[in-house]
Amino acid sequence: MRQVIKFKIKRFDPMGAEGNAPYWQAYNVKLDHGMTVLEALLKIEKNDDPTLSFRRSCRSAICGSCAIMINGTSKLACHTQIAPEFEKHGEMVIGPLDNYQVLKDMIVDFTPFWMKMERVKPYLVPKKEPKGGWVITNEDTKVIDASQKCIMCGSCNGACNSQEIDEGYIGPSASAKAWRFVGDIREGDKRLRLDRISQEHGIWDCVRCVSCTEVCPKDVAPMTAIEKLREEALAEGLDDNPGAKHALALVDSVKRVGRLDEATMTFKTLGFLRSLGMIPFGLKMQMHGKMPHPILFPAIGKLDEVRGIYKARERQRKNERKKKG
Amino acid sequence: MVIHDVIVIGAGLAGMRAAVELAEAGLDVAIVTKVHPIRSHSVAAQGGINAAMNKADSWKDHMYDTAKGSDFLGDQDAIEVLCKEAPENIKELERMGAIFNRDDKGNIAQRAFGGAGYARTCYLADRTGHSMLHIIFEQVIARGICRYNEWHVVEVIVEDGVARGVIAIELLTGKLHRLHAKAVLLATGGYGRVFSASTNALSSTGDGMSLALRAGAPLMDMEFVQFHPTTLKRTGILMTEGARGEGGYLINANGDRFMHKYAPNKLELASRDVVSRAEQEEIDAGFGDDGCVFLDLRHLGEKKISEKLPQIRDLAIKFEGVDPVKDPIPVKPGAHYSMGGIMTDIDGKTPIKGLFAAGESACLSVHGANRLGGNSLLEAVVFGRRVGRGVAKFAKTAKLYPFPEDALKNAAHGIALLMNREVGESASKIVDGVRKAMQKHCGIYRDKKSLEEGLAKVRQLAAKLDEIALVDTGDIFNTEMINVLELGHIVEISEAMLLGALNREESRGSHSRSDFPTRDDENWLKHTLVYLEDGKFRVDYKGVSITRFQPEERKY
Ligand SMILES: Cc1cc2nc3c(=O)[nH]c(=O)nc-3n(C[C@H](O)[C@H](O)[C@H](O)COP(=O)(O)OP(=O)(O)OC[C@H]3O[C@@H](n4cnc5c(N)ncnc54)[C@H](O)[C@@H]3O)c2cc1C
Ligand code: SF4
Ligand code: SF4
Ligand code: FES
Repeated sequence: MRQVIKFKIKRFDPMGAEGNAPYWQAYNVKLDHGMTVLEALLKIEKNDDPTLSFRRSCRSAICGSCAIMINGTSKLACHTQIAPEFEKHGEMVIGPLDNYQVLKDMIVDFTPFWMKMERVKPYLVPKKEPKGGWVITNEDTKVIDASQKCIMCGSCNGACNSQEIDEGYIGPSASAKAWRFVGDIREGDKRLRLDRISQEHGIWDCVRCVSCTEVCPKDVAPMTAIEKLREEALAEGLDDNPGAKHALALVDSVKRVGRLDEATMTFKTLGFLRSLGMIPFGLKMQMHGKMPHPILFPAIGKLDEVRGIYKARERQRKNERKKKG
Repeated sequence: MVIHDVIVIGAGLAGMRAAVELAEAGLDVAIVTKVHPIRSHSVAAQGGINAAMNKADSWKDHMYDTAKGSDFLGDQDAIEVLCKEAPENIKELERMGAIFNRDDKGNIAQRAFGGAGYARTCYLADRTGHSMLHIIFEQVIARGICRYNEWHVVEVIVEDGVARGVIAIELLTGKLHRLHAKAVLLATGGYGRVFSASTNALSSTGDGMSLALRAGAPLMDMEFVQFHPTTLKRTGILMTEGARGEGGYLINANGDRFMHKYAPNKLELASRDVVSRAEQEEIDAGFGDDGCVFLDLRHLGEKKISEKLPQIRDLAIKFEGVDPVKDPIPVKPGAHYSMGGIMTDIDGKTPIKGLFAAGESACLSVHGANRLGGNSLLEAVVFGRRVGRGVAKFAKTAKLYPFPEDALKNAAHGIALLMNREVGESASKIVDGVRKAMQKHCGIYRDKKSLEEGLAKVRQLAAKLDEIALVDTGDIFNTEMINVLELGHIVEISEAMLLGALNREESRGSHSRSDFPTRDDENWLKHTLVYLEDGKFRVDYKGVSITRFQPEERKY
């Protein structure tokens, strides 16, 4: 007999009877062998409830339409098999992507996502072509191969901790796009691009929580792209901004006292008056349960442990949130 | 009402390539698309794009292969443009930022594709379409071209034989908008979703074709549908021909290769119609496994598979539970490409003044009765550019004719009728019925009796369209309503296909009539045209352009 699984779906319709509040609705879905979450949603739409809204198109993990939250993680509905997912979590809880404004059910507003993409000048500004045209090797393009795979599904932004506290943060996806050009040997305008994303809300605001890289369905590894962008930015001498100063101060501090001297660092990074302005931001971070260290160089031996701490904290935070709501 | 010089419907490769050209010409161009541009189905193209780039190859060879592949129904004046302009277009894409795989010397690498005499398919791993669509979208952004994303066009407005613009629904609000222009370019992609098993995206419902049909333009060669030989058993997801191009085999349930029986020279790399029929024959002869044969990549080894076909591996594992490194992949033929489409001349013009078409929704025709793999991305790019330039020339001197007063009111009335019907038929039942009928009666093998049955079924279902009632009557992202609008297109296209297929009493390319198993150049070397006049379909014919290559028997 085929298994029947309950899908708990977070619904929202600003014009609906429930008014402006999200609500939960459950649907039973008879499982077919190999069925994906998208197939289940299509089945629900067809057999149970045509009012359910979600984006879909390619159903083969390449168009980037169908990213949603599945059991608390951003995933592509079409790329997620139900059976193993259910086995792991013991339930199927579905909702719209975190960190986006919900328009209806699983449909979220992607406008900020696209605006961030445009902020990184997302097109090649070619250098002068050498005589006889470009000769490019597979080696040349290897460094940007991962970021080229991005399907702009927005899963990473939905999982990003910096984005959660700062809506204006450039975000992992746009950063990966920026690296796709900065790392292209034909690119002629990398400095301008790097300059733009080195400012406030830019690459230095990443707290290196690895969430983006973890959830990405296409192995784009946006965090790695951000690391490379930071290196490039410093190499270009773009250090006259709080993020880069903070990073340089950190190196300086470790060199000087063998540990982080937080107070001096803030001062160095922002100057005295602006560092006073940092206080509310620091408090905000505290309230969200994290103080970021924009650690620059992966030279730290036990990076895994640091990441472990972040993750543990993240789990704790999620649990807290669950209890609350 | 918004006014632009030109409105492009569709943001796939063809539509956006044309829009770039229009913007370059200094025109005010806007793109209207029902899914965000990079969600367009071009993104799913895997295997690659053809161009004679190598000195040992030539555009004439490419042209010959394409004409032969088309079973000589392709218009050779258009094919010549396609093949001649191919290399230049590839270089242009590269200048825009596209990245292709390279050989050891740093030249663009090329892989073998079906029906080609030379390995001339340029590629980026197995995500060529993704790379190209993103590149063209970047160029659209760079030029600040206006976009109406997630706007679904419901009508192309034509009055007195002149296109005036379109009416579209904004999905976010459910509002109807008028878009007024001197010229309208349809680039809405294919109609794979007319069938129940298809490689196409859920959004590939052939909208533009029936919009054009309703506006008075004819469709051409609709009976020619490409069935791709390697689509996944359960989901119909594509396993690129590039997998065979890289050396993959087809084997039957006994583990034996079988293509030598059907195409002794080209084997697995014969043209798609030939390979799909061979598979079907194996399956029908009892050598299949649950309606499938197998694509065997094991001998390629893990390294090559991961390097050249990583997405194929991921898709096979995620959607079929088979790792091609270890096991053969169960595959079957599935509806893949629409050779037919809106009839245009070599510059994308339809018979309606100011209405143009390009890409998969158009029929020039470069693919005739069967398309070669790697030629449709090429068509989208080459003719996207060419048609874009043609439209620019037209729009620069054209006049802006007034937008009919009552057009919006009429469209709104139609939608309101649908929204307000209290009881009626369920749309999903009708769409299932149509798809099943098409799958059964208009598939790889056809005959008179079956086609007639299919036509009767589709007509019966079509009659119910005016009785559909919606459950969802909301304004915001009403996807049920969109499904119904798409169903309207599916039904009309199905009827046009069945009519074309029923009338064409021969077998040519993808169209195989078991009751007329041979090609008949004397009577059927001509294009089918279908018109919709006062709610009735009319079939007509048109000659084929034959310039360099006389029709000959097609053997692989
Ligand atoms: C899985 C797969 C793999 C393929 N691989 C290859 C390959 O390797 N090589 C090759 O040459 N070809 C390949 N093809 C074929 C090729 O990808 C397509 O023919 C080509 O991309 C079509 O491009 P297009 O611009 O015409 O249409 P599409 O990319 O399909 O775009 C259609 C556009 O029209 C819009 N639209 C549709 N209806 C409406 C409406 N009512 N209102 C508003 N907008 C609308 C959509 O939003 C979309 O933007 C493949 C096809 C498939 C299905
Ligand atoms: S980086 Fe990955 S998760 Fe983020 S948008 Fe791109 S594909 Fe999606
Ligand atoms: S690593 Fe940086 S960009 Fe990625 S999710 Fe964490 S904060 Fe966001
Ligand atoms: S539907 Fe295209 S990525 Fe899921």
